[in-house]
Amino acid sequence: MATWTLEFPYRRSVGPVIGAFLAGLRDQQVIGAKTAGGRVLVPPLEYDPDTGEDIAEMVEVGSAGVVERFAWVAEPMRTHPLDRPFAWALVRLDGADTALVHALDAGSPDACSKGMRVQIRWADERVGHVNDIACFEPEPQK
Amino acid sequence: MTREPVQFMSHHTKVEYKLPAPSLLSIESAKQLAAGRVVGHKCPECGKVYVPARGYCPLCVIETTAAHEVEVQPRGIVTTFSVITPLQYQGQEEHDDYAQATILLAGTDSTISMQRLDGIPIDDVRTGMRVEAVWLPESERSASPEGAARGFGLGRAITGWKLTGEPDAPVEEYGEHIL
Repeated sequence: MATWTLEFPYRRSVGPVIGAFLAGLRDQQVIGAKTAGGRVLVPPLEYDPDTGEDIAEMVEVGSAGVVERFAWVAEPMRTHPLDRPFAWALVRLDGADTALVHALDAGSPDACSKGMRVQIRWADERVGHVNDIACFEPEPQK
Repeated sequence: MTREPVQFMSHHTKVEYKLPAPSLLSIESAKQLAAGRVVGHKCPECGKVYVPARGYCPLCVIETTAAHEVEVQPRGIVTTFSVITPLQYQGQEEHDDYAQATILLAGTDSTISMQRLDGIPIDDVRTGMRVEAVWLPESERSASPEGAARGFGLGRAITGWKLTGEPDAPVEEYGEHIL
């Protein structure tokens, strides 16, 4: 058996809106895009998907939110953000009207539910990348 | 907000392949090439010679084996070529235009492709040129099948092909093999 590795080291320009979002993550803040109609998009888009108009402003939202849907990953792949079973979850952060997909470290599928409260676990080293969010984790009960 | 925006994001895509064990044919071919020999198989039925050996004759649909091995001379005729202008993307190792040719080896009935032409000015490259192999120094050749034929070439023991200085071949000699 022989191995062969193919690599594509891309460097992508991210533009002003995603650039602001990524810069926010670096500083442990989540930045969304607010449309003229008042909807807050997280992750942000450069335009209002309903009207095609430019977004009106960038706004900060919370770093915790609600799971809208999830899919359990019983056997993570090497490239996944976690090396143990986890859920891919759509999380709508507090103050946002759309959901962000990311890994949820909840231990077992039984610990995941629609509507559960989760919060961001930040990466120790943040560089301005979506992986600055290490994953989501269940919010401690108050 | 006054923070420094992020302008670029690195996106490293990596695909790791596990290749099946090389065939006995490519192991043999690699060994022979490392020793400076170009070998192929001659079909016992129609007599056509295939380099590199495929282990079968596609026309007669019969198996060929080591018993049908023949050595051919490392010289041939350029049947087709492409001039390549390398784009300077990250990791590109080529800087100048270069020509890659398909070559019909003398005494064979199959062509080898993706062959680098060596020392021939781009504007002089033409079909029908007679060329001979430029070998890697013997100490630098590897008998490992990883560097050997992938079905269309001859691996890395031959680094390129240079003019023999003989007059060009008439098209009748290679016309059947132009793609």
